[in-house]
Amino acid sequence: MNGLGHVDDYPEIPVSLAPTSALLKTGAWRSVRPVVAKRTAPCTAGCPAAIDIPAYFDEIRRGELESALDRFLRRNPFPRITGRVCPHFCEQGCSLAVAADEEPVSIRSIERWLGDETADRPHVVEAEPTSKRIAIVGGGPAGMAASFYLRRSGHEVTLFERRDHAGGVMRYGIPEYRLPQEIVDHEVDRLAEMGVEIRTGVSLGDDFSLEDLEADYAAVFVATGAGKQRRSDIKGESLLEPGLPFLEAAKRGEGTALGDRCAVIGAGNTAMDVARTLRRLGAHVTVIYRRTKDEMTAIEEEYERALADRVKFEWLMSPREVKKARNELRLILDHMRLGEPDESGRPHPEPTGVSSELRFDSIFAAVGEIAEIGTFPERMRDDQGWVDVGADGSTRDPKVFAGGDLATGPATVVQAIAAGRAAAQAIDDQLGFSHLWPEEEPVDTVKPAEVNPTYMPHHDRADDHEVEVVTQFAEETATLSDAEAAEETDRCLSCGYCNNCGTCFVFCPDAAIIWEDGPRIDHEFCKGCGICVVECPGHAMVLVNEREVSNV
Amino acid sequence: MSERLLLTGNHAAAYGAMLARAEVISAYPITPQTMIVELLSEMTASGRLPAKFITVESEHSAMAACVGASAAGARTYTATSGQGLALMHEMLHWAVGARLPIVLTNVSRAMAPGWSIWSDQSDILSQRDVGWMMLFAESVQEAQDFILWTYRVAEQVFLPGMVGMDAFILSHTAEPLIVHDQEAVDAYLPKFDPLYDLDPAEPRAYGGLVNRDHYFEMRYKIYENMDRAGQLLVEAGEEFGEVLGHRYTPLEGFMLDDADYVIVSAGAMTSNIRQAVRDLREEGMKVGLLRVIAFRPFPVDEVRRILTGRTKVAVLDRNMSAGHSGIFAQEIRSAMLGQPDAPPIYGYVVGIGGRDVRVETGHQVLHDLLTREEPELALFVGLKGLPIGPVRKDFEIKPLAPLEVMQ
Repeated sequence: MNGLGHVDDYPEIPVSLAPTSALLKTGAWRSVRPVVAKRTAPCTAGCPAAIDIPAYFDEIRRGELESALDRFLRRNPFPRITGRVCPHFCEQGCSLAVAADEEPVSIRSIERWLGDETADRPHVVEAEPTSKRIAIVGGGPAGMAASFYLRRSGHEVTLFERRDHAGGVMRYGIPEYRLPQEIVDHEVDRLAEMGVEIRTGVSLGDDFSLEDLEADYAAVFVATGAGKQRRSDIKGESLLEPGLPFLEAAKRGEGTALGDRCAVIGAGNTAMDVARTLRRLGAHVTVIYRRTKDEMTAIEEEYERALADRVKFEWLMSPREVKKARNELRLILDHMRLGEPDESGRPHPEPTGVSSELRFDSIFAAVGEIAEIGTFPERMRDDQGWVDVGADGSTRDPKVFAGGDLATGPATVVQAIAAGRAAAQAIDDQLGFSHLWPEEEPVDTVKPAEVNPTYMPHHDRADDHEVEVVTQFAEETATLSDAEAAEETDRCLSCGYCNNCGTCFVFCPDAAIIWEDGPRIDHEFCKGCGICVVECPGHAMVLVNEREVSNV
Repeated sequence: MSERLLLTGNHAAAYGAMLARAEVISAYPITPQTMIVELLSEMTASGRLPAKFITVESEHSAMAACVGASAAGARTYTATSGQGLALMHEMLHWAVGARLPIVLTNVSRAMAPGWSIWSDQSDILSQRDVGWMMLFAESVQEAQDFILWTYRVAEQVFLPGMVGMDAFILSHTAEPLIVHDQEAVDAYLPKFDPLYDLDPAEPRAYGGLVNRDHYFEMRYKIYENMDRAGQLLVEAGEEFGEVLGHRYTPLEGFMLDDADYVIVSAGAMTSNIRQAVRDLREEGMKVGLLRVIAFRPFPVDEVRRILTGRTKVAVLDRNMSAGHSGIFAQEIRSAMLGQPDAPPIYGYVVGIGGRDVRVETGHQVLHDLLTREEPELALFVGLKGLPIGPVRKDFEIKPLAPLEVMQ
């Protein structure tokens, strides 16, 4: 080689003559390549509204609350409401719980914090006016969500509500201490401010028919809920107080326990609400359920709170008969045991032959609700007599859509919101716009075994604070502080979503990750070792076989 | 201001690294590690020594981290001992080839099995040919000062250096130590100026593949620089005296002027040998002591100058190279080979596996030297049941069956 003819010409150590970036393109050694990939987080997969939780968490982390809210609103218009009452299906799948044996991220509390932080922001109509008029029947969560999405898309929306105010179960069912009325008012006001026309005191069937609406509107969405008390086979049923009207009265400040010793029959969410409301009215309360704690349909959190409220539970007791005797009610109870699973998948309670009697001043029934569907004509029913509703809310009548509890039976607020949104999108599509929200391609869900919690901060989960209750029905929890929300957000592994944490950059042994606005993999030098993929906390990277992407 | 403390050799070494303002210290923190890095970890944690302290999972990785840090321009230090130094072996070569003036302290121990944590020169002398400078400390003061002395030379020739310190009799023994004034040390040891600037904007491959056309030349330069280090050690030792108050030399003589007999020793056992020399002088034996401080580069010329014309020379080895002799004896013999008036060299193997080398051991060796007529490669001192003498020729082995020649 020229210039190395004498020992003095030599460098002290062997150094490449040219920068290695020109010579040693080690990327050619690779058989697989890492790719930054958007994948579905288990929380998102668990959420009925499919909110992209890691993405809006990242925006919160970067202080971009407006963007975080925008992203949230694409899936759910009411973070202040679901942030308080949602059973947080999202948290059940949290990778942190499985991979690190830690409490799941307190997703609902952060949602609530975000909603409260951005409460002042008005909703905006994002599309050009379409002059299409759409009728929404029922002002509960499904109807309100559909109104939001259709109005946002430029349509003229009229919301028909049979009561004095919109809000449905959120206003008249869920007790004040869980969801203050002012929050619901605020959401209704925001809908009205964005131009949703809300007509109250009018009801389908009494004031207008489905056909009337079809004549006047381009599309109709019916979401009148499931507010009809299911009949029980208890003898003397007329002596029972129905649960939902009691809750509604309590919400209006007119609830009365009708005595000191109260029983609540049933163990769903309505039963918990009735029991806890009765406790707040000063009564002693016993919940009576024919199965056990493990089969109850109430969400765990509400059961825990009922216990904390010193509600008593009698399991495996099936009311047979209620009798009035002097000034009290006598409840005859069959003692049960669990048998084979029934069609609900839960063990069927069977009588043991033993019975007993308990005495109460009043007994409340919360044995479930069903939808009132008398206003739907025969042509829209299936052979069971129910309204035939597709996943997007479509019915046998192309102009009529339906959803929420009306279609599913009693469910949760978030499921109703998802149904309202799905129907809104279907209506928008059907009207020929399809200018709603771009739908992300469905992608695979991150599995707990893939994530890497090693480098995440490990501190205790932050839940909404219990607050010292000043008045009977004041909200019982308080929103996280900014600092708590920030710290809790940092616990998120960001499954399937690159939040620019930089772990891959730190660990790449070949310095083949170049940091621009985020990681860019320099495929000239990446040897495909996969360390970045394994180290990525949320596994937002995948290895792709080189043969699938190149001619190597 | 300098201060006078009572410290062990381990802690003295830590003070040496601190005074040198080591910027990166990487070490394996578990056995056979010593309190050297324990104290350094405390110094770095407290901020007293503003350095990066990197714990790793093996001595191999410790030296690898030192290689990286030194290549990046940091003054880099580590410490190890025994099997740890052996595990570092591959990376010791790397530091030489990459011309990185890393300094390490080795607390010299016997090698396993059988497991031993006691004093022995086998671990450090097993690294004789990797190309590191090697100094042997005798005192706690030297355990500290030799680190500074080594850095001063290493950073001129861009070769690494190790300071050997006898396990326990030096590493765990407390002696008065003068901790030098930091400003004076800074004057002696300016900031490290690396051979190459690594520039992330223009990444290059360092230490890559070299063909037959070029390897020899680069290795020759290492040899040349190690050779140059010999003179630099002398100069830097004098500078040490000027700046820090004590002059160090690669060799140290005691009662040599008129000595007919010379005993050669290295490391901490020399202190007892010095007393033995004094005692034998009183008995009328004209004996002197030559202490080898610099083992690499080996001060061949000075050894020749000192030993030429003596009647007999005894060399003490706290090691033995099976199949030959003690390693110091080999080195001395090799230096004297073919010199006119070269004295006969008697190799004595003592103190293996931490067995005490007492003043009396020195007496025995010198009495043996006086009476023994023929020099031997290795004379074993203190084996149970055997007098001082060479390896037995008549001991029985279990021979293989005689070969049957195939037709």
